Amino acid sequence: MGNAFRRSPWQVFGLVIGLLYGAVITVLVVGSLVAARVVSDVSATHSVIVVIGAVVIAGFALLPLLFGVDDTLDPREFSLFGIPNRTLATGLLLAGLIGIPSLVLIVCSAATLVTWSQNPGTVLLALVSAATVVLTCVVASRVTTAIAHSLLSTRRSREAGGVIGILLLVLVGPVVLLLLTVDWGRDGLGALGGAASWLQWTPLGAAWSAPGAAAQGDWGAALLQLLIALATLGLLWLAWVALVARVVSTPEREARSKAYHGLGWFDRLPGGPTAAIAARSMTYWGRDARYWVSIVLIPVIPVFVIVVLVLAGLPPHFVALVPLPLVCLFLGWSIHNDLAYDSTAIWLHLVSGTRGMADRAGRMFPPVVVGIPVLVIGSIATTIAFGDWAVLPSVAALSGAVLVIGLGLSSISSALFPYPATKPGDSAFTQPQTSGASAALVQSLSFFAILLLASPVLIFLVLGLTVNAFWLAIAPIAAVLIGFGTLFLGLWLGGRAFDRRGPELMAFANRND
Amino acid sequence: MAETAEAAAVGGADDTVEEAAPPARTTPKRAPAKTAASAAAPSTRAPRKRSTPAKPRQTTRTAMARTTTTQASEAAEAAQPAAPVDTRPTVLAIDGLHKRYGDTVAVDDATLDIKEGSFYGIVGPNGAGKTTTLSIVTGLLRPDAGRVVVHGVDVWAEPVRAKHIVGVLPDKLRLFDRLTGAQFLRYAGTLRGLSAKTVRARTADLAAAFGVEDALDRLVADYSAGMTKKIALAAAMIHSPRLLVLDEPFESVDPVSAANIIDILQRYTAAGGTVVVSSHGMDMIQRVCDSVAIIVRGKVLAAGTIDEVRGEQTLEERFVDLAGGRKAAEGMEWLHSFSD
Repeated sequence: MGNAFRRSPWQVFGLVIGLLYGAVITVLVVGSLVAARVVSDVSATHSVIVVIGAVVIAGFALLPLLFGVDDTLDPREFSLFGIPNRTLATGLLLAGLIGIPSLVLIVCSAATLVTWSQNPGTVLLALVSAATVVLTCVVASRVTTAIAHSLLSTRRSREAGGVIGILLLVLVGPVVLLLLTVDWGRDGLGALGGAASWLQWTPLGAAWSAPGAAAQGDWGAALLQLLIALATLGLLWLAWVALVARVVSTPEREARSKAYHGLGWFDRLPGGPTAAIAARSMTYWGRDARYWVSIVLIPVIPVFVIVVLVLAGLPPHFVALVPLPLVCLFLGWSIHNDLAYDSTAIWLHLVSGTRGMADRAGRMFPPVVVGIPVLVIGSIATTIAFGDWAVLPSVAALSGAVLVIGLGLSSISSALFPYPATKPGDSAFTQPQTSGASAALVQSLSFFAILLLASPVLIFLVLGLTVNAFWLAIAPIAAVLIGFGTLFLGLWLGGRAFDRRGPELMAFANRND
Repeated sequence: MAETAEAAAVGGADDTVEEAAPPARTTPKRAPAKTAASAAAPSTRAPRKRSTPAKPRQTTRTAMARTTTTQASEAAEAAQPAAPVDTRPTVLAIDGLHKRYGDTVAVDDATLDIKEGSFYGIVGPNGAGKTTTLSIVTGLLRPDAGRVVVHGVDVWAEPVRAKHIVGVLPDKLRLFDRLTGAQFLRYAGTLRGLSAKTVRARTADLAAAFGVEDALDRLVADYSAGMTKKIALAAAMIHSPRLLVLDEPFESVDPVSAANIIDILQRYTAAGGTVVVSSHGMDMIQRVCDSVAIIVRGKVLAAGTIDEVRGEQTLEERFVDLAGGRKAAEGMEWLHSFSD
């Protein structure tokens, strides 16, 4: 962790934030654990600790599987040093104890000593349990990381894993909302107690539960649970040693490659360079995990915005107008750094003398293909939800304008102001180390420029809804003028920039590869 | 293209009379190339086949030859007054190229004159500026000073026309590797302005020639390093360029494939194409190329035919001399007493 400070300022910043976050959580948790000592309802405390503790162990075990962390402690890295397996396994475990999550866990589980300080017996049991918990978490996370590393070592599975991870995260949102709606005061403890009563007999909850059970006088259950916990730890340890031995002596898993037949989009889009670039972009949207992330997130963002707006008390009638333009906004904006996604592969466009216009126009194809059905279906759905067919033209016009303006501006910004993007083949979650301020600046500028250019159409739409229906007729005209004006100007300027800045774009790609 | 051809024809009328007969020019080259090919690798193809790909070129070359002759003769006069006159026109003229990165001078006044039909090797130690030079030639890097003229077209004045003449294999740059091999070739071909039909025919030919037929339906991302090199090489050739600029084409390619590629390239030069390769494999260069330039620390230290450059030595010995000689292998005695 000390090494983590010896990096770029932004990483140090991230680490400091992480440390602060960990410290705050630690203080909160330790505080409530200590406070729980004086609370009389021992069984309630027991239930809460078991459920939360089980979630923590599950988190340690599962997160590496989902995200396939970049593992600096991969046993394979050490294979050439010839360290005996058992020594290596122990060393790596100890190293795993260092890190923000582990430190938070150590302090918090130590605090359970206070919670269960009813008598010397429970304190002793709590001490053993806390140590078991910490070791279990660390070993479990090492084991799953090693498994994730070998399972996710192929490109395809890694990418699929990442996208599944995103979907799960997205699904967690509604679950949290659902949990928030539970009336905790009334039946919360009952639900927790129910969960705890079976979690305490699983490897996830046993170690957390043992001292609590003892504090309630149920020593038999406590010892049995401790046994379960120790057995779990022992099995995990054996699995870890075996994995280390295996990983050190086996080569990285080979990728099995899949055969594709035909030329796909290249056959569907016959024509010159523009069509070829369009086909290439389409293929990439379908095959490259970095694009999947934006495709998955685009429909999700409006859902969150709607939830927030409805919770804030806006009438659903008007909220219905929001999602479609928002989806179109993100769709148009999605290609504002498209060129950086190609990384150094862009040389092919440069050495073949591809015209900037062809490059710019071709890259717009996927968002247009996605955008047209979204526009048509979305406008009709929005109008039905809004309940007045008179708004159909202006809703469609606003959304279309936002999309087209976004494409035009993206065409300029990706040729003029590319900023470092995730490299091809890297996990869609890894952000390039050098992104820093320029990325944020380009992102926010290009985003707000779209909003600014689309604002007249929006104003006409709002006027039409609130003042006079006459404005509803003006909105589409403004949308067409501004939208296509921006689109063609963007294509032209972006194309010119691409033509002139070829070597600079190549230098940019080389710098960030 | 037509305008310049006319202009050149008017301006350099005297030269064109002598130079207008392409077969006369190509025949003397063919013989050495053929022997070099058979020395490098046993050619499985009948020599008779070589004339087939060359045929369609002939018509355009007569016109094209005129554009270059003026420059060629000028360059020849300026560059090598005493050397035996090489009457072949210049296809790639690099003149006074400079490029610096901050304090580091990557290319320092590089001047090269590469003739049509030659198999030209550029050798140098790591970091000598080979890749920088080739990147400037292919339009990927803007020089600080100097000129690059490809077949009469200035690369930095008329980039689109110049780039059409050149096929490029860069080193250590990514490919669009989420495409299958077939898609990648189609992409490269279409960007070069070929029709889908032409690309399809050439893809089949190239795949057979490079032995990648089985891999056409797999993603380039899943290829081995050698396969990736081969598919990129195929993409560089797909538009039948007049000049091929190949940066480290044989790196990580297996010997059989390398021999195969050399065979293809030699037949290409025999038909009038020009190949520029960079490499640090001296042996390969000496065996394959007819001309060579040695670049050290951005400077061209020697250039000419292989025999001119190497003199009495082997190319490798001459190269090590020019590059600063061997470091005396003293010290490090601990390496000779083994730890177990």
